[in-house]
Amino acid sequence: MFKKRLTLKILFFLISTDFLETFTHLCFKKSALIENEVVITKVSDAVSFLMVVFSSPFLWVGLLSVLATFIIWSSLLSKIDLSVAVPICSFSYILIPLASIFFLHEKVSLFRWSGVLFILLGVVFVSLSASEKERSPE
Amino acid sequence: MKQGLPFILSLIAFTSVCDTINQLFLKSAINSLHSPKGNIRAVLNFILKLIMVPRVWVSFLFSIISLCIWLFVLSQVDLSFAFSADSMHYIFIALTSRFILKEKVSLKRWVGIILIVAGIMMVSLS
Repeated sequence: MFKKRLTLKILFFLISTDFLETFTHLCFKKSALIENEVVITKVSDAVSFLMVVFSSPFLWVGLLSVLATFIIWSSLLSKIDLSVAVPICSFSYILIPLASIFFLHEKVSLFRWSGVLFILLGVVFVSLSASEKERSPE
Repeated sequence: MKQGLPFILSLIAFTSVCDTINQLFLKSAINSLHSPKGNIRAVLNFILKLIMVPRVWVSFLFSIISLCIWLFVLSQVDLSFAFSADSMHYIFIALTSRFILKEKVSLKRWVGIILIVAGIMMVSLS
């Protein structure tokens, strides 16, 4: 059984979760950028690392964005099929490297982009196989 | 890269496993409730009911563990690499469905998984 069709409004919210997810991981990365090199050999190192990260405002903004994504995502899933939602949401696999280039000044080689393309294709294939399963009468 | 690549990849794999467990518990908790009607109020009400379910707390516990390790991973490697490598949870979900839940995994899905594995290898090598 197919649920309601993909409307423009749903598409807008789906794409907004892509941007929110990108924003989340940018915030997380910002909070984890610590000047001193992180070497964890004992438990107290791990605790002090987490203390520093959790005191960063970026982390909390990121967590708020996770909450927002969760609320949008869970209300969307009652309206459309997962097999439609997942491919649209996998745009974040492209958005995140783009954001890493622009905001974090990371370098993404052509070879890495082709790896991203393979992952994206794989995700689309995996979700296509889910829609086939839903269609087949059991 | 400050730490060895195999070490970072296994940490990312560990967060993927935690995320998978987290999703399984969350899904099972959601299934135990009636799904909400369309509007925002019903959704918020649903979320309030959801956080009363003990299984959701197990799910939260795993997401906190996963978050801590994820933050450590991000302090070590590029975001563009870490996020791509995190797509390995698709592989874990397919393998657990096939071998633990004994579900049938279609050819198309295996093709997708092989593409994801190839993609992760390319992203890691670059």
